[in-house]
Amino acid sequence: MVQSAADRVFLPTKNLLEQVGDMMILTGKTLVSALRPPYPYGTEFVQQFLFMLRLCWLPLTISTIAFGYGAPGLQAGNFLVLFGAIDRLGGFFVLASIREFAPFVTAIILAGVGGTAITADLGARKIREELDALQVLGVDPIKNLVVPRFLALMVVTGLFNIYALIFGIFGGVLATLTFDAPLGPFFATLLNNASTTDLWGSVVKTTLFGAIIAIVSCYKGMTASGGAEGVGRAVNQGVVIEFLGIFAFNYVFTQTLLATHPEISVIK
Amino acid sequence: MEERRGDGGAGGPDRPLDPREWEESRGGRPGAGAGPRMTAEPERGAEDHEYHWHTGAKREHGAEDAVEFIDVVKAFGRNRVLNGLNLGLPDGQISMILGPSGTGKSVCIKHMVGLLYPDEGDVLVHGQSVPAMADDELFEMRKKFGVLFQDGALFGSMNVFDNVAFPLRQHTDKGEDEIREIVMRRLTEVGLAAAAEKMPNELSGGMRKRAGFARALVLDPGIVLFDEPDSGLDPVRTALLCELIQEVHEENGGAYCVITHDIMSARRVADYIAILWKGRIVESGPARDLFNSDNQFVRQFLSGEAQGPLGME
Ligand SMILES: Nc1ncnc2c1ncn2[C@@H]1O[C@H](COP(=O)(O)OP(=O)(O)O)[C@@H](O)[C@H]1O
Ligand SMILES: [Mg+2]
Repeated sequence: MVQSAADRVFLPTKNLLEQVGDMMILTGKTLVSALRPPYPYGTEFVQQFLFMLRLCWLPLTISTIAFGYGAPGLQAGNFLVLFGAIDRLGGFFVLASIREFAPFVTAIILAGVGGTAITADLGARKIREELDALQVLGVDPIKNLVVPRFLALMVVTGLFNIYALIFGIFGGVLATLTFDAPLGPFFATLLNNASTTDLWGSVVKTTLFGAIIAIVSCYKGMTASGGAEGVGRAVNQGVVIEFLGIFAFNYVFTQTLLATHPEISVIK
Repeated sequence: MEERRGDGGAGGPDRPLDPREWEESRGGRPGAGAGPRMTAEPERGAEDHEYHWHTGAKREHGAEDAVEFIDVVKAFGRNRVLNGLNLGLPDGQISMILGPSGTGKSVCIKHMVGLLYPDEGDVLVHGQSVPAMADDELFEMRKKFGVLFQDGALFGSMNVFDNVAFPLRQHTDKGEDEIREIVMRRLTEVGLAAAAEKMPNELSGGMRKRAGFARALVLDPGIVLFDEPDSGLDPVRTALLCELIQEVHEENGGAYCVITHDIMSARRVADYIAILWKGRIVESGPARDLFNSDNQFVRQFLSGEAQGPLGME
């Protein structure tokens, strides 16, 4: 009785830790496999890259504008108007959009739209035993399926981040206009506060978000079991783990970046 | 059965009944003393009450073993799928692994090609241990195999032609013309020449299976594994497929292993039969011997009757 209760509490945790361990191993194998010749994954990389672009660009555009306008734009704008400091909204957007919101929205859209598509695709192939058949025919699924997805997602997420922060700032412009404020000060404080560190920090961070999304999605897809239902479960669990992983990693990254580059904490 | 599970199952001190003794007490083990060498399974402790019918009789088939399972144990979490499996598949013959669904027949196949590894025991292919192989050895070893997976396992992103051509493009330097000729010959054999340009999701289950069949054979492999080639096919197609397996086998030789629960197919094509239940072989041997077996489980299974030791559980 006690045993089974303990099992019920600890087995899922153990299971999760085991899975995280497996994902680390998969990451290692993926990196080795990506670097070691031959490189047969070019076509698949391009296909996946275009697939992700096609899948994500519209949801991302809508989300970033709406989010940039709504959350930091109107909310912070309301607050700043109180102090007669709406001209500072641009400076706030450096903190908000470039450092946090653009990467976040990008990651959530890519995990929710792209990551799930990858898990579902690989999961279905796993269930149909396509992955087994590939292996028996001498095709390494890591090199031929995981590596191109891993690289494509990293590149796409990094690029989409720039796209997202442009549209996020556009949301800020809309918010400024809503408050009938001139745009000059918005851009002045924006450019004044933005540094190259902010920009590359943001891009590096999202690229690594892309890596997390790719590994978790591929892992969950390739280990799906239990028929169609199992694929659904894998997709669901995958996206949950991706969000947790992204939030946790974001915390670590932000802390590290602020600690190693104290100058970006100074608001000008 | 149930009472015995009560006293013996808890791992109590009382000695479990040896299945061989039990068989003998019921009037002799089938085939015992009839001449051929019989290898007996080692005794396995308290769980043996489940294994009344597992005489472990491994009748001589007069050939080398192409694939051999030695005391293989495989569990997924708490689910012990293979539990001390001993099995040899003769080279140059068509073997059949029979067993109720969910007993781990597909798991067996995956052990042979190194997609799954045993928790205990060993799997030998032409005398080489599969679990002990390094990645590149495994890669080489897999070239010996042709595998037809349960649902065909066609690659969804390629049409039927490219699916069947895939092993040729992957493992040989043949030119496109030669590949086209070989692939079309194989597709004609399975009656899919007209469907060469179709995508897998446009095919019926039976057609996918036949395409998978063509793909498994396209490299003329030395060991061919068929996972339920006959499930989901109509009786006529099943008969034709069985005939095709025999024809191809006569042409190419090698060890063919067919997994099925269709007794008719077994009667038609099997040279050698192994019956798998509860993670072990009940009996294995030349088809003729098994169809005349005294073992009640074997008889029930091979005649497909409701009466007998095999229930719904
Ligand atoms: N990869 C796996 N993970 C967990 N359980 C599995 C896996 N593969 C098979 N099983 C379990 O092993 C048992 C036997 O499966 P299988 O070999 O497919 O049976 P069958 O004899 O019908 O082919 C089933 O109970 C199945 O749930
Ligand atoms: Mg099966």
